[in-house]
Amino acid sequence: MKTVSKKISFADSLTLQSGQILSGFEIMTETYGELNPDKTNAVLVCHAFSGNHHAAGIKDGEKKPGWWDEIIGDGKTIDTEKFFVVSLNNLGGCHGSSGPTSISSESGQPYGANFPEISVSDWVEAQKLLADHFEINCWEMVAGGSLGGMQALQWTISYPERVKKAAIIAASSKISTQNIALNEVAREIIRKDEDFHNGNYLAKGRSPKKGLKAARMLGHITYLSESNMRERFGRKLQDPENKMDADVNYEVENYLQYKGEQFAKTFDANSYILMTKAMDSFDPAKDFDNDLVKCLQNVKARLLIASFNSDWLFPKEYGLEIQMSAIKAGIDSAYIELEGDYGHDSFLFYSDQYADALKNFLNSNG
Amino acid sequence: MDSQLQSIVLNWIPDQSKVVDFGCGDGTLLKILGEKKSVIGYGVENDPEKINACIINGVSVIQQDIDAGIQNYKGMGFDVAVMASSIQCLRKPRDAMRNILKVANECVITLPNFGNWELRLGILNGKMPSSTQLPAKWYETKNLHLCTIADFEELCGEESFTIKKKVYLNRRGTSSWLANTFPNLFAAQAVYLIG
Repeated sequence: MKTVSKKISFADSLTLQSGQILSGFEIMTETYGELNPDKTNAVLVCHAFSGNHHAAGIKDGEKKPGWWDEIIGDGKTIDTEKFFVVSLNNLGGCHGSSGPTSISSESGQPYGANFPEISVSDWVEAQKLLADHFEINCWEMVAGGSLGGMQALQWTISYPERVKKAAIIAASSKISTQNIALNEVAREIIRKDEDFHNGNYLAKGRSPKKGLKAARMLGHITYLSESNMRERFGRKLQDPENKMDADVNYEVENYLQYKGEQFAKTFDANSYILMTKAMDSFDPAKDFDNDLVKCLQNVKARLLIASFNSDWLFPKEYGLEIQMSAIKAGIDSAYIELEGDYGHDSFLFYSDQYADALKNFLNSNG
Repeated sequence: MDSQLQSIVLNWIPDQSKVVDFGCGDGTLLKILGEKKSVIGYGVENDPEKINACIINGVSVIQQDIDAGIQNYKGMGFDVAVMASSIQCLRKPRDAMRNILKVANECVITLPNFGNWELRLGILNGKMPSSTQLPAKWYETKNLHLCTIADFEELCGEESFTIKKKVYLNRRGTSSWLANTFPNLFAAQAVYLIG
């Protein structure tokens, strides 16, 4: 699989949904496969909340492959022998694209809390400039799960002529009140870390890792289902030799401690806040009298919507709501309900459940 | 679906109409309706393999249990609802019929006739009968509420469902004098346009 990692600089200034202007920015990308001469075989994959541009393959020195490695590759669901796959780190992220950890040209300091608020539409605008950069006029497919699925949906609304198919997995057209509430608890945990300094911790040489870790621990609970946690951990006590913390009693506690700690090493607290805010505010129907049917009226892409039965963070009813609105709007759309007891994380861990449908969808002519 | 049955259904469905097919199988009918009549079609199906076949066919499909799902399709602007050889698989066929007529102005229903002589002979033999239309063994059939043409038309009368058009087909899937004259005995299938 031909893989190219590249940071692309854009001189364009981007007017954001908030009205703020980002004057010039960088997008970290990774591409797989080769663009055909007609530039008609391009697939955009959009990452979820904590993902990044590294979607497939194993990088030198790393153990884990990219986040959608089971789906993207030679001969796989999104076959890189046939398709040119573009993956990126979104604006406001912390894996190479312009974000809160980047240096502001105005102040010469890291942006920190001053990095502008970013929305899902803003991501799509930046991805559109990326499509222009590659001279891709129309994506064969835009695909993603969770927050990535929201970007795929936004693409079909923002640029109906520039996307043929959209795969929207474990996502919704807006998140639940409960989900906003959980995001706010996570943000509050970060903000109350003594090293947060109103978001300008980098300038002070500090990092609110404790808050970030605890926020991620909370997040992890929401990504899993109750039955999965019960089966995996039950009430098993943690082996004393491998305790992350002296206070840990149960295996599940140790698991959350470990996951939280690993995450806090590689993620930025301001990015966490920015990304969750983008997720909370996503609601494309808002500009259409809160009518999702109206919002989808001009969509030209065919949709594939997939939801997991065990997902309580993005319940299947939310996927079905997009489908039913698509039917009312008279646009082509298929909806599948999947088994997989990982809850919201089934998107990553039960990709075999939708691999065939996604492959058939990508390769079908409708 | 047999070719004659298919051409009857194709004839009854207006050009460019919006159609929902409950129990759409692999989506063949909707695909043909899209190609020949520019129909905007949606299928409802609960079998993952058939759903995949729909996706391959480029047919819009919704994974859902029909019994639970029909009423969700009210107010969606459907002109015609199709239920081909599915009604006998439902848990509550009468409720389904009532709901389906709220989903669309008209519905096309096809039905295997349990009154057909071949099946009656099977019963006379003391065994659960099978035929081309009803090939499955008793222990693996999906049919829960089989009925005869007489039963179905009686229900339509009781419920004041208007049968606008109907065609009876014999075992070979064609119209015949016998099937039309004594449908409950000689027709193997019936297809109705109900309003």
